[in-house]
Amino acid sequence: MQLAVNIAVLAAIYALISCGYVLIYRVSRVLSLAHGELMMLGAYGLAATASLFSGHPLVAIAASAALALLIGVLVYVVLMWRMTGESVLAAVLATIALGILLRGAMTLVFGMQTRYPLQELGWTNISIAVGGSARISVAGLVLLVGTAAVYGGLFVFLRASRWGIRMRAAGQNPLLAAQRGIRLHGIYALAWGLATFTGGMAGMLIACDAGVESTLVTIGLKSFPAALVGGLDSLLGALVGAWIVASAEVLMINYVDSLLSDVVPFFVLLAMLVVRPWGLFGTREELDRV
Amino acid sequence: MKKTLFALLVTAAWPAAAQDAYVVGVSAAMTGPGAATYAPVVEAMKAYLEHVNSSGGVNGKPVRLIVQDDGAEPSKAAANAKKLLSQDNVVMLINTSLSSTYAPMVAEAKRANVPLYFGGSVCPKETYPPADALQFCSSAFGANLDSQGALGFIKSQAKEPTRIGFAAMAIPIARAEIDYAEGLSKTMGMTPVEKQISPPPAPDYTPFATKLKDANPNWVFSWSPWVSQVRTFEALRRLGWNGRYITWAHLNAEDELARIKDAEFYVIGTNALFQDNLPIQAEIRAVAHRAKLDYPVTYLTEGFIAGLVVESVLRNTPWPPTPQKVLAAMNHLKVDLKGLRGGPLEWTKDNHFRTRQYYRVWHWDNATNSIARVQDWRAIDVKR
Repeated sequence: MQLAVNIAVLAAIYALISCGYVLIYRVSRVLSLAHGELMMLGAYGLAATASLFSGHPLVAIAASAALALLIGVLVYVVLMWRMTGESVLAAVLATIALGILLRGAMTLVFGMQTRYPLQELGWTNISIAVGGSARISVAGLVLLVGTAAVYGGLFVFLRASRWGIRMRAAGQNPLLAAQRGIRLHGIYALAWGLATFTGGMAGMLIACDAGVESTLVTIGLKSFPAALVGGLDSLLGALVGAWIVASAEVLMINYVDSLLSDVVPFFVLLAMLVVRPWGLFGTREELDRV
Repeated sequence: MKKTLFALLVTAAWPAAAQDAYVVGVSAAMTGPGAATYAPVVEAMKAYLEHVNSSGGVNGKPVRLIVQDDGAEPSKAAANAKKLLSQDNVVMLINTSLSSTYAPMVAEAKRANVPLYFGGSVCPKETYPPADALQFCSSAFGANLDSQGALGFIKSQAKEPTRIGFAAMAIPIARAEIDYAEGLSKTMGMTPVEKQISPPPAPDYTPFATKLKDANPNWVFSWSPWVSQVRTFEALRRLGWNGRYITWAHLNAEDELARIKDAEFYVIGTNALFQDNLPIQAEIRAVAHRAKLDYPVTYLTEGFIAGLVVESVLRNTPWPPTPQKVLAAMNHLKVDLKGLRGGPLEWTKDNHFRTRQYYRVWHWDNATNSIARVQDWRAIDVKR
């Protein structure tokens, strides 16, 4: 039972992070390699708002979530907008530069010490019993519920809302979408905002569980195989990919050797690239555009 | 941090002037992985040496510390060492970075025949007797000795047979130490039950902790960067494990003991905590305040010790300084650490680590709601 809980929590972390990779890629064909840094910015944002709105945890959480959304939109408006019409490679390189810039800026602003936003919010991360013998931390449980809510919300948004349908249209055929009067820049800005919001949410929840420090950015990179295994343009794929990678990792720790846990996501990714390079639920034609 | 980055820019632009000062070069992980451990050491060392300069310097000459950031990357450390040796003509090199940066710096130091001092980074085996001619170390960590100290403490506390688990980060130095500890535990009559090596960093430490908990240890020993040590412990507690955990007292140990507040979480270390209120700690507070350091004062002991060592070495180096004169001073050094450790730091021609290593153990005392010492200085002789 504990094994299942461990897989579920790790899969939720990977799913929530890879959701951002997929959203941006699906809509704008850009692979954002600054996603780990944007995730970390979300975590530091919570630490900052928690001390700013001391004694008002809900206000702090709402403020940091809004901040993450706003930062995503700003990234598009200030930087990625200029990349429209440029080669995909130029846009990807721009995200790498953005990541380096953000990392440096966060070091300067927040320093090198570990911050514990949950403590600053005045809450404790206790654990609760699940079933007979398993336990889950409250942060882990919120992560599971949050991931389900994000994916459920995105499903409804993309299927049923006007902006969601426009977003899908822009992703499928931007030229035709533009000719039909869809404002592409608005759609792309929204995609960056949502992706940064979900990445930031993952950062905030990881920070609530374990604190935030500069190595958090690496975790953003670790969830990249999940997105690729599932298919870079499929949200369902991200969910399934996250589950596969998390299962492989946890089972490796439990039954083989914990040392290999760091390698196994990339082994799964390599296996997938050999067998089905576009991922489990990805679109074959999209592969040429990566 | 902001000040240091500015200083890095300034020193980078500084021309190699005629030597009117003792010039010492540092390659340090001021950014990148491990910066949380190493940057405070350099900041404190700089602040202490600035304090020495403001009080007239050493032998009437100022100490110029040139700090180069290596971001914990071996290639940058090599470039830093080359620049410090060939352009700045330093008389001593200091490494305050990850162990992966050691090899290129050692190679450069050997090529130029300049002493290399590890201040705040893990002491390499080459500083233990019989020591390498050019490598010296004052850092609190001591490979093998730390495991001896920690397992010795466990043995002294155990009232029942010890089933011991081990946890480490997947970096060479931590893995080697935890392997050594595992072997040592058997010779001390303990039963090693599980060993978990986690990657740096892991998104969730619960899977590693689950494996440890399932082996049912009554003690767990971890020797790694703090993040790995403490997150494994916290994951174990959330899984309902109620055994005892001992781990290395990094710079942030004092603050972290107060945050965690768990009576069965022990830290073992060689530097005094600020709860001792020693006169030298008041001096550290004053120096940190004057230098407007960003770090909590509890993080600064290791850097202050490095500053005291550099000052002592240079004080025994007659003017004009040369690497050979500095080396001669380092080979016969005794630094009074004024209570920051259990005894003086002593280097001999054969021993560039220290002749005795002293350990204390602390935990959180729920009765007094404060940190309590559970073992006072216990000395281990450092021999061949």
